[in-house]
Amino acid sequence: MAQSTKKSKSKLWFLVHSWLALPIWFFVLIVCFTGMLAVVSQEIVWLANSDVRASKPSDGAERLSFQQIIDALHKAEPDMAVRMLVQPEGSHFALAASVTNPDGTTPTLYVNPYTGVIQGKAPDFNFEAFTRALHGWWLVPFTNGYSWGWYLVSLLGLPMLASLVTGLVVYKKFWRGFFKPVRSGHGSRIFWGDVHRLAGVWSIWFITVISITGIWFLIQAILGDNHITISSEPIVPVIAREDVPLTADGSPAPRIDLDAAARIATEAIPGLEITFISLPSTAYSHVEMGGRGWYPLMFQTASVNPYTSNVDSKFLLEDRSALEFVTESMRPLHTGDFGGLAIKLIWFFFGLVLTLMVLSGLLIWTKRTAQATAAALKRTDRVARAQPARSETSVEAQP
Amino acid sequence: MSKAQAVPVSPLKQFWLKWRFHINILLILIPLGFMPKYFADAAMFRGDSGLGANQVSDIQVGPYTLDLAELRDEAPRADGPAGHFKLFNAALCKACTTEVKAVYLRIGKPRSLRAAGTIFFGAPYRMITSLPVPPRTRSDAQVWITIEGWDGSMHQASVPLAQASPATVAWLEKQGGTK
Repeated sequence: MAQSTKKSKSKLWFLVHSWLALPIWFFVLIVCFTGMLAVVSQEIVWLANSDVRASKPSDGAERLSFQQIIDALHKAEPDMAVRMLVQPEGSHFALAASVTNPDGTTPTLYVNPYTGVIQGKAPDFNFEAFTRALHGWWLVPFTNGYSWGWYLVSLLGLPMLASLVTGLVVYKKFWRGFFKPVRSGHGSRIFWGDVHRLAGVWSIWFITVISITGIWFLIQAILGDNHITISSEPIVPVIAREDVPLTADGSPAPRIDLDAAARIATEAIPGLEITFISLPSTAYSHVEMGGRGWYPLMFQTASVNPYTSNVDSKFLLEDRSALEFVTESMRPLHTGDFGGLAIKLIWFFFGLVLTLMVLSGLLIWTKRTAQATAAALKRTDRVARAQPARSETSVEAQP
Repeated sequence: MSKAQAVPVSPLKQFWLKWRFHINILLILIPLGFMPKYFADAAMFRGDSGLGANQVSDIQVGPYTLDLAELRDEAPRADGPAGHFKLFNAALCKACTTEVKAVYLRIGKPRSLRAAGTIFFGAPYRMITSLPVPPRTRSDAQVWITIEGWDGSMHQASVPLAQASPATVAWLEKQGGTK
């Protein structure tokens, strides 16, 4: 008796497990697949487009400083306004310069970090942005707060976490499954079942990370749409009017250059790495800069006043609350972009495995159901031929 | 096929049983449907489709000229307790970019430079600002542009809100109607 309740319970868990993804399997599949692509989208672009690569002109070549890059850009395009320079993670990537042209277009340019040469313009079809938008919010536009596509995708974190839990309940002694070989000679149902279980146990950590961070994206949207903030980041006040000197001849007041600003910030803040720097966006704005800290999942930023040379504001690791350490770690944990190529490749691989989990789950269900359907058809067939013998009750009894 | 004929189930039900878990493939229509909008928005943010909607060109502000356009031809967007905002783009005349220190936008005439309104951000060729639009704004209101020079000079000009953003005026009239 106890045995049979246990059995029916596990059957129930199994049903729950299959129903979590089954009715929306294609949606889950595409979200997993695009997520996998988004992780390595930057690398795919690097492979496809030579403009994005930071090729050294010679072995001994040194990287230019930010101001040297600005000077080179001004020399090449005197009328162009540079707004921001970003060094993507990894020295094999070219610098990305956000610029504004006199005709009002605002392209991103790929700039060689050794020579300052403009290697090319980001193509109109931005593969990285597109895969991220497709994965992150199903391309649904943000019109009033978070897009409903964002909710649609981030809600998947819940069934994904539930799939993991129910999967582990259904899989008896799953901890012995790490080195179970996949049986290939017993039909596809057995094969896909073995693949699903093996991939599942190795992905426990990854599914946990992706589903919990996915649920965080849902919470983030709910908080954002209700105008609740947990950020302790200071709002940098604009530079006071009296700090900006007037000039008699009407020419712009002198401002310190980017290298001076970067030097002032790194001297004032030990351990500040600068991988992005933006020029003042108004006459009353700061030179903003930042980069990853010793804890690679979070960024540190500083604002330098270009008139007084003071570090007016900073937001460092130690300024974060304990809660922010958790919440700010969520995004990099989801995207895997915090430790260079190696971590990205691990995230890509397990993203592929996760995509296969959805596919194999579907295949198992189809095979199982196909068999069950075939069996049911056979029975109905028998019943039909055995008419008018009363056999309704016996049909219901399963073998 | 012969098997299917033997089953006394309605074809409709059979179709449902066979395809019910594949209906979700239709969800792909959502990103497909939004794709044109996605690429149009991307082009807009790159500045490839011009300054914006309802552009007012060559507004004379003191010795300078400026183009003003709303980012999108639509009503102001709500931003929680902060109120409603409209994004406006502006482009300064090419020759005057070095002399202009700042450009501001405000609904109604500013009393002083310190209350000139919201400041425009970005390169002078394409600047952006988020203009607060109080729901009680009169539909015949003027949008005032204030230009501040590096020498401390101040120049002002205005355009009718109805010209700069017809959708905002339509929205204001609707607000007035419900209140």
